Amino acid sequence: MKSSYSLLKKDCRMMASGKFFLVALGSFLLYTLFIHFGYLNFMGDNANIYNVYLYDPAGIHTEISPLIHSVASVEELEEALAGDTSGGVGIHIKDGEPGIVLYAGTEKVDRHRADYALSLLHSGIGYQPEIVGDNTPEMKQRREITCELLFIEIVAVGFLGIASVLFKEKQMGVIRIHAIMPFPKSLFVCSKIFLFLLTDLVFAALMTLFNVGPKEAGCILPAVLIQTGILSLIMTLTGFGCTMLLKDFKQFSLAYLMIALFTATPVFLSANTAIKMDWIDCHPFYYLYMGLKNAFFGTPVANPVYYVCVMCVIILLFGVATAAFHKEMGKEG
Amino acid sequence: MIEVKDLTFSYGKIFHGKDKQVLHGLNFTVEDSEIFGFLGPNGSGKSTTQKILTGILKGHGGRVSLFGKDIKEVHTQEFFQKIGVLFEFPYLYANLSALDNLHYFSSFYPREQLRDAQEVLDELEFKKDFLKKPVSSYSKGMRQRVSMARALISNPKLLFLDEPTSGLDPTGAVLFRRIIEKERQKGTTVFVTTHNMLDADLLCDRVAFISDGNIVALDTPKNLKEQNGSRSIAVRYLYQGRREEQTLEAQSLKAGIPFPYDELLSIHSKEPTLEDIFIRYAGRRLS
Repeated sequence: MKSSYSLLKKDCRMMASGKFFLVALGSFLLYTLFIHFGYLNFMGDNANIYNVYLYDPAGIHTEISPLIHSVASVEELEEALAGDTSGGVGIHIKDGEPGIVLYAGTEKVDRHRADYALSLLHSGIGYQPEIVGDNTPEMKQRREITCELLFIEIVAVGFLGIASVLFKEKQMGVIRIHAIMPFPKSLFVCSKIFLFLLTDLVFAALMTLFNVGPKEAGCILPAVLIQTGILSLIMTLTGFGCTMLLKDFKQFSLAYLMIALFTATPVFLSANTAIKMDWIDCHPFYYLYMGLKNAFFGTPVANPVYYVCVMCVIILLFGVATAAFHKEMGKEG
Repeated sequence: MIEVKDLTFSYGKIFHGKDKQVLHGLNFTVEDSEIFGFLGPNGSGKSTTQKILTGILKGHGGRVSLFGKDIKEVHTQEFFQKIGVLFEFPYLYANLSALDNLHYFSSFYPREQLRDAQEVLDELEFKKDFLKKPVSSYSKGMRQRVSMARALISNPKLLFLDEPTSGLDPTGAVLFRRIIEKERQKGTTVFVTTHNMLDADLLCDRVAFISDGNIVALDTPKNLKEQNGSRSIAVRYLYQGRREEQTLEAQSLKAGIPFPYDELLSIHSKEPTLEDIFIRYAGRRLS
């Protein structure tokens, strides 16, 4: 208990002297200002509409919504969808039946877009779209952007945070002294992981409270904190292991770049843009991102396989981090 | 206190590509309250041996016991409470002061066995003005003093010192040797790893020479010198206005100086240094 307190106190001082808390506070303020005064204002004008393009060669549908853009050929339809950055939806009438053409994202995710397009097509005959939630467009945007920024903060900034603290200790050589200190060595790893986890949870709570709103945050906060905790543990342990195994911050920067490129980028591109990746189902971070996103939308992951998998990954990473820490303690000066 | 029998160690394939045996069956014992010197050049296996004894490195061969117990049983929290280690380099938190460093590292030990941090630093003649300044502003000698204070603050029963006088000026080195001797008088066993022959000669009750992972000699510095000395004497003198020097066997002086001279300038015994003896045994220099 006394050893844990000493380690936590020292780690707090190291994080404070590395301006970690200041950077986290700065990020929170910046993100909040961006959401309130930038993103929502910008998106407010474009919030309501997905462009819907109709290719109806037989001219069956005559009474359609004025929001639908008619096109004259399949090529024109594909061209219009490819050039649409706001998630356009295409309707191709074949044999009298409307077929939905989604150029972006997975079909599962974008069912609401298809539903929206069909409601416009059948507006004259009372098509009833499925109600998928009671969020206003603004609330939907708030949840989405808060989730995305939180994900970036934990994956990228949190990963760098532990490296900046640990590389200092590594360069000072003090890690080696802990080898002969009378306390269980895994406490050294646990202390850092606990502090970074705590910081990430506070960050997530503040982001949710200030950007989603206190009333809505009350319902989703437990699920958001669970997903944040999972992501934070995975990233902090990965950062810990990389710092111990890599020689210096230059090598770490390269690893960071690789993680940014291969972890965050495909997930964001797949979830938020018109780029479609069939293999995204095999990307583990896609599930973590969707877990966080679902938590923000009040539908937390209920599949126990997901939690068993993340627990296994966390245990594995903890083992790797502890082994790397022991290796570092035994190194020559 | 320490008993080592047929100690072997290899750095494994995982990190170094191939098995590299660095210790080839070491045998030695260290008695209670003894200052034992472990001497050898860089890469000879000194630090590896110390790391095995302090529990930092695992996977050795042979039998090692400390405090009368097999090493595999002793590396518990209780064991770490009984030892103090001075590393080759003064590893300290550069953003913390000397006092903060000592308070942090001492916080892992039971309060009742701790010495007062300021008192230990005073004993090591640490400059008071720097007590609360960050370590980053200290000279190498001051850092070495804080590191030594860290090793001593828990009143260890077994003290491992790696190059204890490194980075110190001659006055500091004398002070450190005095403090180490004082620790021995208190009953502490001291295991010194060094390639500084003066430290070994002045401090150690016994020394072991290690070269390429083998102990090539082990005895008291006095015995090693006697066994390897030529027992000759160099005499410098003035004769008929000229300065001259002759080397004589010690026995030949029984009947007085056996050559004519006007004035004796100096008489020196040609006793070998520990370094000379090391070269004789190991076939190479220490540094």
